[in-house]
Amino acid sequence: MNKQEWLEKLSALRNEFEKAAAEKKSSQDIERDFLSKKGGLALLLRDLSAFSIEEKKELGSLGNDFKKKVAEYCAENSSNPVSDKKSDLDITLCGHPYPKGHSHPIIITMEKIISSMNKLGFSLEYGPLAERDYYNFEALNFPPDHPARDMQDTFYLNQKDEKGINYLLRTHTSPVQIRVMQSKKPPLRVISAGKVFRSEAVDASHSFVFHQLEGFCADKNISMSDLKWTLESFIKDMFGSAAKIRFSPSYFPFVEPGAGVEVSCVFCSSSKGKCPVCKGTGWLEMLGAGMIHPEVFKACGYNPDEISGFAFGAGIERFAMLLYGISDMRQLYENDLRILKNL
Amino acid sequence: MKTLYSWLKEFSPDLPAFDNLGPILSSLGFSIDSAEKIGFDADGVVVGEILKIEKHPNADKLSICEVSLGSSTKKVVCGAKNIAAGQKIPLAQVGARLPEGVLKKAKIRGIESEGMICSASELGLSGYDNSGILVLDNSLKPGTDLKEIFDKPDYVFELEITPNLAYCLSHFSLARELALYRGFKLVEPKIRSFPLKENSEMKIEIENSSDCFRYYAIIVKNIKNKKTSDWMFERLKKIGLNPKNDILIDASNYAMFELGQPTHCFDLRNLEGGKICVRRALDKEKIKTLDGEDRELSKDILVIADSKKPVAVAGVMGGYYSSVFPDTENILIESAHFNPSAVRKSSKILGLKSDSSFRFERGIDFELQDKAAFRIAQLIINQNPSAEITFVSDNRPYKPSCLNIKSESERINSILGTSFSKEEIEKAFKAVNPSYEGGDFSAPSWRSDIKTIWDLAEETARFYGYSSIKSQTNMKASAFCENPYHEALKSISLKLNSLGLFEAVNYDLVSLKEIRALLLNEKEAVELKNPLSSDFQYLRPSVLCGLLKNLRYNINRGAESVMLYENGKIFSLENENIKEKASTAVLMYGKLREEYWRFGEEFLDFYHVKGAVSYLFSDMGGFALKPCSNAPSYFKKDLCLEIWAFGKLCGYAGAVSSQVLASFDIKESEVYAFEFDTDIYAKAFAGDFYSRIKKAVPVSQYQHSTRDLCVVADKKYSWEEIKKPIENIPDLLWVKLIDVYAGKNLPPDTRSLTMRFMFSSMEKTFTDKELNAKIEEIYNKLNKMFGVSLRSS
Repeated sequence: MNKQEWLEKLSALRNEFEKAAAEKKSSQDIERDFLSKKGGLALLLRDLSAFSIEEKKELGSLGNDFKKKVAEYCAENSSNPVSDKKSDLDITLCGHPYPKGHSHPIIITMEKIISSMNKLGFSLEYGPLAERDYYNFEALNFPPDHPARDMQDTFYLNQKDEKGINYLLRTHTSPVQIRVMQSKKPPLRVISAGKVFRSEAVDASHSFVFHQLEGFCADKNISMSDLKWTLESFIKDMFGSAAKIRFSPSYFPFVEPGAGVEVSCVFCSSSKGKCPVCKGTGWLEMLGAGMIHPEVFKACGYNPDEISGFAFGAGIERFAMLLYGISDMRQLYENDLRILKNL
Repeated sequence: MKTLYSWLKEFSPDLPAFDNLGPILSSLGFSIDSAEKIGFDADGVVVGEILKIEKHPNADKLSICEVSLGSSTKKVVCGAKNIAAGQKIPLAQVGARLPEGVLKKAKIRGIESEGMICSASELGLSGYDNSGILVLDNSLKPGTDLKEIFDKPDYVFELEITPNLAYCLSHFSLARELALYRGFKLVEPKIRSFPLKENSEMKIEIENSSDCFRYYAIIVKNIKNKKTSDWMFERLKKIGLNPKNDILIDASNYAMFELGQPTHCFDLRNLEGGKICVRRALDKEKIKTLDGEDRELSKDILVIADSKKPVAVAGVMGGYYSSVFPDTENILIESAHFNPSAVRKSSKILGLKSDSSFRFERGIDFELQDKAAFRIAQLIINQNPSAEITFVSDNRPYKPSCLNIKSESERINSILGTSFSKEEIEKAFKAVNPSYEGGDFSAPSWRSDIKTIWDLAEETARFYGYSSIKSQTNMKASAFCENPYHEALKSISLKLNSLGLFEAVNYDLVSLKEIRALLLNEKEAVELKNPLSSDFQYLRPSVLCGLLKNLRYNINRGAESVMLYENGKIFSLENENIKEKASTAVLMYGKLREEYWRFGEEFLDFYHVKGAVSYLFSDMGGFALKPCSNAPSYFKKDLCLEIWAFGKLCGYAGAVSSQVLASFDIKESEVYAFEFDTDIYAKAFAGDFYSRIKKAVPVSQYQHSTRDLCVVADKKYSWEEIKKPIENIPDLLWVKLIDVYAGKNLPPDTRSLTMRFMFSSMEKTFTDKELNAKIEEIYNKLNKMFGVSLRSS
């Protein structure tokens, strides 16, 4: 094919196209006849391969101009030829009942706390529930005859450890501090969470089994300001950026100085009159905290003059009860599906 | 500690009103657990005498009383039943201030009432009968203000004092703390010191100086007036003690709650042999303590003994026979300092606690002993001027001393994250020890808790308030590691939740009955030494235990579908060692799905539990469900599968045994469950993230082809057996069972299996001929191995 013949073919295609357009052929048909792989224009453009570079340029440009024109026409005139039939479905009938289950409110709360602390660089560690006296008390600066032991009524097991002391059910998650510090070197930022046990009668706000959260940091130059910042960041993540915290003196043998941590009541605004959650005080007691006691560091082989750190802990049920509006702790352990399903 | 506001105010005269005291105390680490207002707090209430009672004309239950106030007479409407003419009653006049508000003039059913006859509760008085109006003593003069009759308003509050603040376990020491840390005025108790004559009739011996640091003793003789003064009696009663109206007993308690030093008074008549010895008890030695109990002692118990017998458990409780009796006139006052852990040990062994042991265990002021003894002597002398006091001994084998702490203000700031000046810090030190004058710090005699710079940092923060610690940080960013077990738990929850299961959380403690109900041997279970009750005596051997209880609970409340799971720990004994394992259990009962307008309800069965396990373990290496040879006791033997992963047996799935269900009082029989070792499951989450990600498998660009094959096979061949030889033939992507049928049109003991095969090749699209050949080959294989035949339709 020479140049002249090619141009004639192009011209013939143009005429065909104009005719098709005049007949209002559907844009799908025009697209198929001209632009598709086996359409006229595509074939014609493919024939260019036999021409010289100059001719390719010249003819190619003419061909592409036409291609563009056809494509534009198709785009402008495209209409969906498939029309929807009227449906006779009653679209108000309920949709397919996919199964729906979810985690327990204590665990959801715990997971939120863990992820919140993860963001602050705290890694999760676990410890056993059946624990040795050494980890639960002694290394945490509760000497054998210390009255602070009375603050935590302990369940003992019949089996004895290497020292001849009965195993116990951990009364707090703090033994994880010792286990981690004895096996790892600072800097450490660790959180732990799980069940703890106290030999206390069960009532609306006490349970002999409950969940605790524990966090600690051991590094150089850690101060109580860092502790406050950490807890404030955590609390804001849990209760919103308007939440505030305040410290007051408190006592736990494994920290010095020790602090009780109150969180501003975020539930006040939603109720008129005296807030039933904080009883009008505006504050909720949520955590215990403090600087890791030098005796604890010594028990872990750290030099308290070089390494400092903070620790904090809280009952997870308290968070869960506030978040879910549950007033009786026993409800959390009944696993009543009528309640669980509606949470 | 039960604290009386007015008693505290005696030493702290400018103490703020009670309502404002809470925040001050909590800023120092004390919290008020509960508080009660006591006494009479109202204005305008006077004694009235009912002269006449008439019925109210418009109301059956109301009366109109004429009440005389001496100088005037009032007409009052009253609804109480217990009124009678001639009674003396409290009348609140119009304008009176009552606990509930100010009394206004009121018309009651058309009759104007010129006041209100009050009940005790309307006056804020506790401890009276509130069923009607308060009837007053008939000797009272009408018109007398009730303020002259009842106690002044006061508060009793329970103050929580943590062990580190034990030096504030008395009214004076609490006032001292408020004075030193918050600048309130302090009035010291006026304690007389007496010129003492030595008394040689008693000798004090201390066997071991590490048990008893100091024993101060005086003798008071010739005590005739033993009645406790009313003010002291009232104070002791208000803080919840049980005063005996014997000064020799009450004064000792009074001194303890005033100053913090426990003391004890012995009747001199019953101290034999002229000596007191602080020693360890002999094994099997006996004492009858003040509470009337006979107690057997042992060599770990510290006692006070005369030459023959123990007369007190040191620091815990006195002995009965040497105690003060109504006719006691001569006493020895013991004011000692015992080793805290010795007292604690005795108290623990005997299971006996007292206000005294509570204080000794926590440590007392080591300079207080003589003062406390004088205080008691003074309270006795005040009402017995002719009594004579003599000095026995101040035996002090060991004097505790307070450590010197290097005063480094830099260190305190670095602990707290503050920037106090040296002067500011020294000011705080002076609050801890008023005699501090700069330089190294040593604590006063009542603060033996202060040992290190960390303790002083806490005191500095208490002095300036914890709000002086700012929320700010210089902490470096920190690397964060995933925990495989936690990742496993998250994955399990996500998957099981999506199947419609709800997570349960149960107690880890179960009863013997429950262990037996699971058909397990309690000898392999871990038992508590001191359980709260037999319901919670063992650590659970299986997570299913709680889920079965939850099942019963929910069925009893009408649940038709119970699908629960729980992650937790289970415990067992292996060679007397406690084994604690992570375990996950799932329980399925009832309807998977309610009736829905398109299809009927669907009930859970064995294949649902099998499907759930397979779904949960689908990505696990080496996952397999195998027939079970040794099923746990709580599964039905022939409806139980072993769960395998990572080459390990990690659990069981199946139908719960009928016996177990019956023992859990569950009438339903179709209950399915599985339980597995979560630590093995967690292996899938160990290692680096990238290394545990499943790599993408290339797919063919050629068309896949399916073919179905329906064969009739003898029922004795399991699907597992039949599948085995054909699942690995070349180009087979997968084979699925899409229908199983037995019954009509089939020979007995046979069933038809309809299988669907998916073929795929990376090289080509299979032709019909090729596919037919493959199916034929499969059929021939099955025919040869299992004698299957084609199902004729």
